[in-house]
Amino acid sequence: MDVKKEKELRDAEVDAEKNILRTSIEKFLNWGRVHSFWPNSFGLACCAIEMASTGGARYDLSRFGYEVFQASPRQADLMIVAGTLTRKMAPVARRIYDQMPEPKWAIAMGNCACSGGPFADSYAVVPGADSIIPIDVYIPGCPPRPEALIYGMLQLKQKIQNPSKVRLIKHGK
Amino acid sequence: MVSDVLRARVGDLAARVKGEVEESLGVLELTVNYPEAIETLIGARNFADVPCDFLHDLCGMDLEDHFEVVYQLSSLRGPQRLRIIARVERDNPVIDSATRIWKGADFLEREAFDMFGIQFRGHPNLKRIYLWDDFEGYPMRKDYVVESHEQRAIMRVRKEGE
Repeated sequence: MDVKKEKELRDAEVDAEKNILRTSIEKFLNWGRVHSFWPNSFGLACCAIEMASTGGARYDLSRFGYEVFQASPRQADLMIVAGTLTRKMAPVARRIYDQMPEPKWAIAMGNCACSGGPFADSYAVVPGADSIIPIDVYIPGCPPRPEALIYGMLQLKQKIQNPSKVRLIKHGK
Repeated sequence: MVSDVLRARVGDLAARVKGEVEESLGVLELTVNYPEAIETLIGARNFADVPCDFLHDLCGMDLEDHFEVVYQLSSLRGPQRLRIIARVERDNPVIDSATRIWKGADFLEREAFDMFGIQFRGHPNLKRIYLWDDFEGYPMRKDYVVESHEQRAIMRVRKEGE
């Protein structure tokens, strides 16, 4: 370990004794954000039942601080597209996404939201919500179990906490 | 199990409206041409002893050379059931609306119009019910061609008041 790094760690130790932690503003804000997503309850089909079950007592999404399902997009920062997105609904979905304040993220929950699922060839279904909304995390399943939704939200947490790692995976530098 | 009384009543009605009677899945089926549809429905509703006065379901069918409108009738006062099938021309799919007999036929006929393009004459509000208003074509017809994946991924613009 180089001398500079050793000095930094020693300083951090001294600060920690005085209850001080040093970090950057962005990291600190992200730390706050990832521990309290406020999802927008955008349930479209049967996946919404699993989403509701995730918030219930058995799976208890509030362990992670994510239980505040908001009916208004203006108070939400995470959109869970839970179910089949039809072409009639697509403009509404986009509008709700646009109404959410920054920073905002979106999760595609279930096969229908990921790629159209069994309705991919239908005349009335958008083949994948990502053609309407930028999606951060895809959760496959029909419908995904509550554990899968929780895992997906924890993956989103990792993604937000490690922006440089995400950039590395995406762009390779 | 079809009762003899119902069988006799349907036979009489079929003779009056020049229809054919068949039995399928334990239910009598009366097939008529579209000009006789309303007369048949009123006749079935007014059967003595076994009235078929409840419109259970109404749907369209595409048989390639013609369309059919299927009325599933039953009653709150008995076990009798009856299926009335009205043949509609493919080139000119027009039939009289059943909303004059049953108010509940309103949404069912709108669905048949939405999916098959069957025009119901005398319907109070005949417009699309599931699909958006500017949708082109009737998707449940056998000759309907679904748009490409790329085209369906384009978001349509929402109209005011939709």
